[in-house]
Amino acid sequence: MSSSPYAARTAEERTAATPDTGGRRLPRTLHPVAWWIWALALATAVSRTNNPLLLFLVLAVLGYVITVRRTEAPWARGFKYYLYLALTVVAIRVVFRAVFATGMTPDDHYLFSLPHIPTPDWYAGIQLGGPVSLEALLSAATDGLRLACMLCCIGAANTLANPKRALRVLPGALYELGVAVTVSISVAPQLVQSVQRVARARRLRAGRTKGLKALRGIVVPVLEDALERSLRLAAAMDSRGYGRAGSATPRSRRLTGALMLLGMCGLCAGAYGLLDPSAPTLLGLPALAAGSVLCLAGLRLGGRRVTRTTYRPDPWRFAEWAVASCGVLSAVLLFVNAGYDPAELNPSIYPLSWPTLPLVPAAAILLAGGAGFLAPPPTPPTPSAPPTPHITAPRTEETA
Amino acid sequence: MNPRLLRTVGRALAVLGLIGAAVLAPSGPASAAPQPIGRCTTSSGVVLAVDFSHWGGPVYRSCGTTPTTGYELLNQGGWRTTGTGHDGPAFICRIGFSGHQGGKQYPTSQQEDCVLTPPASAYWSYWHADPGEDTWEYSQLGAMSYRPRPGSVDLWIFGGTNIEGTKGRPTVTPDQLRAHNSRPTGGDPAPKPEPKPDPARTAQRPADGDQAPSPPSEKPSEKPSEKPSKSASPSASATASPSPSASATTGAAVAAPKKGAKVVDAAPAADAEHDSGSIVPVAATAGLVVVIGGAAVFAAKRRRREQ
Repeated sequence: MSSSPYAARTAEERTAATPDTGGRRLPRTLHPVAWWIWALALATAVSRTNNPLLLFLVLAVLGYVITVRRTEAPWARGFKYYLYLALTVVAIRVVFRAVFATGMTPDDHYLFSLPHIPTPDWYAGIQLGGPVSLEALLSAATDGLRLACMLCCIGAANTLANPKRALRVLPGALYELGVAVTVSISVAPQLVQSVQRVARARRLRAGRTKGLKALRGIVVPVLEDALERSLRLAAAMDSRGYGRAGSATPRSRRLTGALMLLGMCGLCAGAYGLLDPSAPTLLGLPALAAGSVLCLAGLRLGGRRVTRTTYRPDPWRFAEWAVASCGVLSAVLLFVNAGYDPAELNPSIYPLSWPTLPLVPAAAILLAGGAGFLAPPPTPPTPSAPPTPHITAPRTEETA
Repeated sequence: MNPRLLRTVGRALAVLGLIGAAVLAPSGPASAAPQPIGRCTTSSGVVLAVDFSHWGGPVYRSCGTTPTTGYELLNQGGWRTTGTGHDGPAFICRIGFSGHQGGKQYPTSQQEDCVLTPPASAYWSYWHADPGEDTWEYSQLGAMSYRPRPGSVDLWIFGGTNIEGTKGRPTVTPDQLRAHNSRPTGGDPAPKPEPKPDPARTAQRPADGDQAPSPPSEKPSEKPSEKPSKSASPSASATASPSPSASATTGAAVAAPKKGAKVVDAAPAADAEHDSGSIVPVAATAGLVVVIGGAAVFAAKRRRREQ
């Protein structure tokens, strides 16, 4: 699928292409699914805690793993954009908490006061403006930090895993959705690449790359470029058999569609039932199980009639197992409540007190950072191709 | 990271530090004060009742002055609440009383982590009964917005309700909880002077004495001391309490509850101790983050050199 110089090589190629690394592990790219499992598990672990110490630890671990294990591919240079997005999330959360005042308690530390806009009696549930306390801002910031950390986990997966190789491991039945799946999986990396390309073009033309004025000059080309590239990628995939029905009869296609749709409805209902304790019990696990069974049946049925061979399959070896289990283990440790008080995961801001650092969750997060050692080092860029991709480089990837 | 980002982060930290340095002492005095239960009458003061029967405890009853908000009433005289991380302190997620189980707040962190808004099937619901009314009204306002009228009763019960407030109604009646005396009984009110006293209230009130907040009211005087020890055993269900006569002697004001928990008067108590924790975990985490960040910077530099 990809013939870029950054793509993974098979073992034979690697030994031929890379020089002796002096006893160090041979560089190769990890299976993209392993990175996705690791990142999603870490995001799951993050969803459990509100402790700023643990959240900062997660950010540090993410930063470390990305620094040591990212490739030189264009999408691997985009983590800072996810960080900007995360900072925006925190800022929005804090501003909203300040504007939609949640009230001062007598013990709060007063910071400043916003002009209070009185609301009528029938609308008294929402207050605009008023005194803002340190506690309110801190709790908004930690709340935002949690979402920011989850965003950064997804960003890490997008940075570390090759999105185009990840696309390849999708089950055959999803090929039906061809264009939609391709665009949805590759849109974030595409956006990052587009931002970089447009910024570089502006630099070359000695245009402004900072400030609000430059933003307008960047946003429009970026959106246009990203959509155009996604569509071009989808067209390239289409010409290689994505979104083709193969030898399926209309009847079996309808059956597959119905199974998938019902299964997805079951999954949604099941998730809703699990999250809402007041929902009837039939809506919880049973609906979830039925939904998964239907989805699996649909996937199997859809995958059976489309036979595709894989060129240069990504291997799944020890490193993949190790990285994926690192992430999963840290999530499990944060969910079993063993060896620590669950209250420590969500320290209270009211009244203000220093958060504690529970040892087991901290160790679990550091364990997730072990992926930085367990994953093989990334393939260095070959001398023939400069590490900074020139303008034509991304095109070859898309159409490859 | 690049130096520009570092500079931005540094600036942000500096601003945060300034804010931290500018933090003032806890703001202004509370406008309401806790009172012994005898100070509440049919036309003055607000009776606050909290039902701990979900955890085998009694229904506590205490008194506060007006003007006040439902929130202030629930955060004075030993009462303390916790909000949620998502909604702030205005959403009452936990309630604790320093005279009950050592100030332990319910629901406990095992039952509810108070990060997101609790489900409608298990939360503290807020009920009012205006003076003279014998039906509970589901509060249409939050605790911070609602201002109880003098002589009214505020009740907090734990459980689930529907939106109309027809399910999950309280089992106790307002009559069991409200003050029936038309004049304040008992000795001195709480020593805390009110900055803005209610005129109706001051007219009835004898001179304040600067005394410790020990409840000097005659009838319930022995109650607070024996209350914690009695409720200390969570296994004993409220109905099977060995000394129902104790609550009967609490005063003529309290009728015997029909079913469920007994009603116990809660005298104003000192706030539960607050421990602001130690800075060591924060410092340790900062050290860890610096070490990991340093390793990342080192790895990035080595990588750049190798290329």
